[in-house]
Amino acid sequence: MVIDQDKCVGCQACSTACKNENNVPHGSPDDQRMRRDIFWNKVIAVTNGKYPRVNTEIISMPCMHCDHAPCVTVCPAKATYRREDGIVVQDFRRCIGCKYCIVACPYGARSFNSREQEEKEYLRPDLAPERSVWGQWPFPTRTHGVVEKCTFCFHRIDRGVKEGKKIGIEVVPACVEDCPAGARKFGDLDDSTSEVSRLLSSRGWIRLREELDTKCKVYYLLR
Amino acid sequence: MDRRKFLKWSAFTGAAVGASKIMGQFNVPEASPLQKEIQKSFEEKWVATSCLNCPARCATRVRVVNGKAVKITGNPLSQVSEGKICPRAHVGLQVLYDPERIITPFKRTNSKKGRGVDPKWVPISWDQALSEVTNRLRKLRENGEPHKLLLFYGLNTVSTEDMILRFAEAFGTPNLISGDGLDSEAEKSGNWMADGHYAHTACDLDHTNYILAFGADMVESSKPLSRFLRKWGKFRREKPNRTKVVVINPRYSVTAAKADEWIPINPGADGALAMAIAHVIISEELYDRTFVKGWTVGFDFYKNLALNQYAPKEVSRITGIEPEAIQRIAREFARTQPALALRGKEAIDWPEGSFTSYAIFCLNALVGSIDVPGGVIYQESPQYNQMPPWVEDDIAKKGKAKPSLDLHGSNKFPVAKVVTNQIPESLLENVPYPIEVAIGFNSNFVMSSPGADRWDQALTKLPYYVHLSPFISEMALYADLVLPSTTFLEEWGYDHSPPGSGFAEAKIKQPAVSPRGSARAITDILFEIARGLKGAVAQSFANIGDHAEGFVKFRTEKLIPWKELLKKGTWIGKNYEYKKYDRIFQTPSKKFEFSSGNLKAVLAKTKKEKGNGWDFSPHYKEAKFLGDQEKFPLILLPYQPLLAVENGSQNYPWAQEIFLPMHGVGWETLAEINSETARNLKLKDGQLVWVESPFKKIKVKVKFSEGVHPGVVAIPSGQGHYSYGKWQKGIGANPNEIIGVDYDSISGQSAFFNTRVKVYKA
Repeated sequence: MVIDQDKCVGCQACSTACKNENNVPHGSPDDQRMRRDIFWNKVIAVTNGKYPRVNTEIISMPCMHCDHAPCVTVCPAKATYRREDGIVVQDFRRCIGCKYCIVACPYGARSFNSREQEEKEYLRPDLAPERSVWGQWPFPTRTHGVVEKCTFCFHRIDRGVKEGKKIGIEVVPACVEDCPAGARKFGDLDDSTSEVSRLLSSRGWIRLREELDTKCKVYYLLR
Repeated sequence: MDRRKFLKWSAFTGAAVGASKIMGQFNVPEASPLQKEIQKSFEEKWVATSCLNCPARCATRVRVVNGKAVKITGNPLSQVSEGKICPRAHVGLQVLYDPERIITPFKRTNSKKGRGVDPKWVPISWDQALSEVTNRLRKLRENGEPHKLLLFYGLNTVSTEDMILRFAEAFGTPNLISGDGLDSEAEKSGNWMADGHYAHTACDLDHTNYILAFGADMVESSKPLSRFLRKWGKFRREKPNRTKVVVINPRYSVTAAKADEWIPINPGADGALAMAIAHVIISEELYDRTFVKGWTVGFDFYKNLALNQYAPKEVSRITGIEPEAIQRIAREFARTQPALALRGKEAIDWPEGSFTSYAIFCLNALVGSIDVPGGVIYQESPQYNQMPPWVEDDIAKKGKAKPSLDLHGSNKFPVAKVVTNQIPESLLENVPYPIEVAIGFNSNFVMSSPGADRWDQALTKLPYYVHLSPFISEMALYADLVLPSTTFLEEWGYDHSPPGSGFAEAKIKQPAVSPRGSARAITDILFEIARGLKGAVAQSFANIGDHAEGFVKFRTEKLIPWKELLKKGTWIGKNYEYKKYDRIFQTPSKKFEFSSGNLKAVLAKTKKEKGNGWDFSPHYKEAKFLGDQEKFPLILLPYQPLLAVENGSQNYPWAQEIFLPMHGVGWETLAEINSETARNLKLKDGQLVWVESPFKKIKVKVKFSEGVHPGVVAIPSGQGHYSYGKWQKGIGANPNEIIGVDYDSISGQSAFFNTRVKVYKA
């Protein structure tokens, strides 16, 4: 995934679109105070400088889907693993909720679901297990007591692959689809003709915490 | 294989196969009996409709599964925002399924009214509720006093607005009050002085190369928001030359953070800066001579005014911006063509806001950015099917001849179209006459007006108040009767966005799901009340469709076939045509006016004294502040974050938890103070403080910031609800409560930024 910092408007549509698509539980004032609200995509702001010379960088942070993912290394239950296509996924049925991965993740991309499903005011119990437009949701019942994270909407991608659609053009994750500024692009980094490869060759980019050598796969184009 | 069959197949045989491929190495358990049951009855549809969480009214598609809306996304056929939606639209699901919505009419049993008084609601039937309202209204007309009806309306669909307007006309009341007077009327009046259009500005963002944003929060609260969000991406990196954006604002907004340059300005000095920029452009002869010579009048006076009084050096003292910086942005603005000067609330919601608005708008004319690609454009509206004229009897005629309660058009507000915040004063003093019955349609002015106390008192005093909205908002607390209206996902309507795109676009609202409980669409409620009133009012509502769906069908049938509209969701007009100079200017001279003939004509009629040239030209007058500078050293700057939903409620966790992106927090109101100032006040970051104005005080958490002018306290609006809702009640504070009451003398726009405050430890 490539996020263009110049096009991004800091509106947080990525966060709400993600919550909408993946039925991620919303938080509460208490949750936020205790830092246990769940986000699969969180927008953060980093400010530097002193008035009147100040700069705030607003950064949208999905899971970085690292090639060398620290969370995969530490998981004692093999609940989190990297798929062949590079997406790092979490198997709720294997997860024992030890939160080791949360500690290990350098990007804060993981959240622990500490809430009973029934607690949620906006629970949608009538949702079909096939709950996404794009493909089968493999975890029809969301359980508490496990760690959750962004999946790059792999339910959409898998279905798209199955139907022979062009990933990154016809099929993209919800946050990419609903980014009003068109700041997010998704595609195959190994394919030199893809939009993401073209963008990365056209401008300067960074990856967050490059020094950790996580080889993460969310790139930020600089302004 | 079609979708349904595929699903059935996958449920019984394929689930394990398909999913195990996804999982790679793990097996997926069989679907549970309950899941199988759900899968069997799985029915999905996509409904093309539109949003109403802000006035942009974006076209959306809603995914409905088994009768329940589960996802909202943009409609790619819509061109205003190229099919994109902002986060507010996603929140629509929580508006629809708000657990604390009301779904049956309620009647007040506690005759005492007031803030904090329990209304003791009891549910009643629709028949009883409607007959009660109709009887009250009928009595007014029988007594020949239809003007004693007061109608408020907040954010509604265009179709509902058309119905409310028709109702007011047929009933015979001049008192139809929108919330526009709390928004940015000064922008409209500034345009009106220059080009005769009393309307918001539309901008051709696709082709512009330079944007100078005076207090315009383009990516937070400008209208139509989603268009700004989409076009920002487009003009930055989807065209060969990147558009530069310079933001002038005392506060480092999200827009400023995303812009190329942020120039903090002293509050209320935007008019002076605009004139100084004109000074530089004129003195260095950088202006567009062809346009100025061919299509403007009054340039010489304006030129002399700018050259003689607004040298960058002088203005630097007023604005706090270096003269070199003023010269630089003026040159950039004039030399980068096409360029746009935008204005937002922070610049123009001031007592002299209209002239600031006028001054900033004139910069566009100076560089020829009027009706050209990349400049200011003129919005076209969809031509809905004409309704037959309403039937006007003598009672209505007499009622409408009475002066309006908001005093618009009077000597106090000669130009204004609506002065929302004047209503409480008029109600409390019975000026020009007392009001018997009031009806509010999705309005919540108690929260959004400066000087909320007056609204409390005025609404308490109202003899009979009926409120229509999907929830018990703050204003509904004062009602005698609350009628549950539907949300935008449950009703019929047609809509169009506020000015922005240039070309016309209409969108439909069709029910994605059936209404919750017994909630009814406002359009249907009005049809019923009108029928109940009989006579001229009933006749006025005959032959226009008879119910909400029929009304929408009637109004749109000439634009596009009904079935096609239901499927596509939008109708788009012809492409925008530029350079219509011979017919777009609605001024006495039929040209762009640097000296306003429109204003002159109105003032000649209403004011006794004759103004001099100054009074009709863009100029800067020193801002008038409420409160003593010694006692109240800081200036309050309220602002609207993107996730402040504009329907009068904020009971939406998705919006609340990411409310303040610049600070990474939600569920909160923060008073942002420059860290230097805060340290001088001996405050600690994060502690609770009182922010006190000469009128009232509120308790909020202080946040040290590097992105705020040292003389300013910035507080987001949108919180501080006290009526209903687990996710909003008692959270944060409302800065509007401590703002003093003041108006722009021309447009009647409420001034929001000229209240002085002091901050101290709570």
